[in-house]
Amino acid sequence: MKTLKRRGMRSSKDFLAAKIVVFIIFAIYAFTLIFAMLWALSASLKGQSEFNQNLNGLPKQWLFSNYGKAFTAVQANGNNMFVMFWNSVWYSCGGAFLGVFVSSVTAYVVAKYKFPGRGFIYAVALVTMMIPIVGSFPSQYKVYTTLGIIDSPLLLVTKAAGFGFNFIVLYSFFRTLSWTYAEAGFIDGASHLKVFFRIMLPQALPVIGSLFMVSVVQLWNDYMEPTLFLQSYPTLSSGLYIFQLEMTRGINYPVLFAGLIISVIPVIVMFVCFQNTMMESMSVGGIKG
Amino acid sequence: MEQSEALAVEAAAENDEVTEETNPQPEKAKKKKKISRRKISEYIFCYGMLLLPLVQFAIFYVWINSNSIIMAFQEFEGYGENGGEIFKWSLYNFQRFFNEWSNPNSVIVSALKNTFKYFAAGICMIPISFFVAYFLYKKLWGYKFFRVLFFLPSIISAVLFVTTYKMLIDYGGPLDMLLSLFGVRVPPFLTDDATATGAIIAYTIWTGFGINMILYQSAMSRVPQEVMEAARLDGVPWYRELTQIILPMVWPTLSTTLILVITAMFNSTGPILLFAGAGVEVDNPATMTISFWIYRQTQKAVDLNYPAAIGMFFTFISVPVVFIVRYIFNKLDPKVTY
Repeated sequence: MKTLKRRGMRSSKDFLAAKIVVFIIFAIYAFTLIFAMLWALSASLKGQSEFNQNLNGLPKQWLFSNYGKAFTAVQANGNNMFVMFWNSVWYSCGGAFLGVFVSSVTAYVVAKYKFPGRGFIYAVALVTMMIPIVGSFPSQYKVYTTLGIIDSPLLLVTKAAGFGFNFIVLYSFFRTLSWTYAEAGFIDGASHLKVFFRIMLPQALPVIGSLFMVSVVQLWNDYMEPTLFLQSYPTLSSGLYIFQLEMTRGINYPVLFAGLIISVIPVIVMFVCFQNTMMESMSVGGIKG
Repeated sequence: MEQSEALAVEAAAENDEVTEETNPQPEKAKKKKKISRRKISEYIFCYGMLLLPLVQFAIFYVWINSNSIIMAFQEFEGYGENGGEIFKWSLYNFQRFFNEWSNPNSVIVSALKNTFKYFAAGICMIPISFFVAYFLYKKLWGYKFFRVLFFLPSIISAVLFVTTYKMLIDYGGPLDMLLSLFGVRVPPFLTDDATATGAIIAYTIWTGFGINMILYQSAMSRVPQEVMEAARLDGVPWYRELTQIILPMVWPTLSTTLILVITAMFNSTGPILLFAGAGVEVDNPATMTISFWIYRQTQKAVDLNYPAAIGMFFTFISVPVVFIVRYIFNKLDPKVTY
């Protein structure tokens, strides 16, 4: 008994030492992240000449006017930030809505109904998710051009995919969802469609909501596809990148940083409101397989 | 449209059912017919609902990917009379690709090397995230704060983070100021070919472990408390608790993330596009990766067939890798049930 206790004490002492070391490492890493964010914030409040002379210090005068300026001064292909903001809204919310809605339809049908071809559809959904396609951009470019959806809001059709990661999550949700309510609905004479929309879909709303948020954040931050396929409709992410590229000389960095900070505010607000839901579902979103 | 059609047909089918039910003849044949009618209305509902998603899948998955294969085996020949581009079947793209290997200045070879560097960094990130997750799980002082803070870079736009990062490591920036205390000035990390990829990989590591960290931590929190309590009473030191208790118990989660990193090997890359500009050439072989090269070629839209061929080549290599890796990890699974 005595040795057991001593062993326990020694191990907890060991752990204390490890904890202290790890804490110091964490604190240093945390400091670099906080420092970077505060640095960007402070840069966004400086005057243009002050930014060049006093790169790392705090701003002498807090120019909140940079934020107002950003909306008109930050331009990408002739679009100001109001336009970019609107483009970001429809691109991320529209794309997320289509993706999650179509997936919930397919997931529900495949999970709850037996029909010829069901197993095949499920297998195809799984296998296509397992195979990582390397660079299908050239083919996408050609197909989108053929369909006439390139550089147009119609590009959102590509987001209405029913068999991706959202499908897998919703499929396992509907699988475990009780069929009793649906049966009650059928006895009352409801059609299949009505049962789906009125009885089953509302029960899935929490899952759908968190998947929706994850997609919104991913699309909001996506700069590669809008840069490639939506040149006339720059979103905040692609627009702020294009702006930097176009203005390599004489760029007003404080205004650029103000614009960048404005672009992340909606995501931060979402994160503050739904912190735990977002962390859990984003992390599940990490395993797209 | 299809859905409303399906609805109408289905409603009609259901009406039939009702009329049949009113018919008081409990014959077996009738019953069978009734069930099959109900089945038919069910099928109509299922296929009606799946029609649009399947069409979408056929266009944006099947067509796009089979078009990749077709493009890989085609070569631009010239313009037709109506101004359209004419392509002919050829193996030119693959010849060109295999010739790259004897060219010491080849962008592709350099891109492949860099892709493996990003891949190695991605693999290293997994044990690091696991370690971080363990200490957050053990409720290190301030673990709630660390958890939220470490996760933030995963949701904040990379455009903001990369722009800031470029400034932080630039000459005259904060890192430079810190180093100058020790009498060293920062080298031009991003414009020097020798360090450019390293600097971008450092960025991906700096901002990259939030998501896996949360994933592992929630897997750890599902480990039964009794197991941990028993380990504590036995005086198991923390590193053995980590490697011999926690690790086997969260293995399914860990292996899933490992499988994903390994199978997406040729897709490993970083936000290279955002690092370009202001003295950093976007098409520099020193910072190229396979997937970014394909992206850039599409952006230039000069020759789409060659990048399509390269994408197809690496996708085809990936397929056996996917199955082998999944098989091996399945064998490795300690199959702990709790």
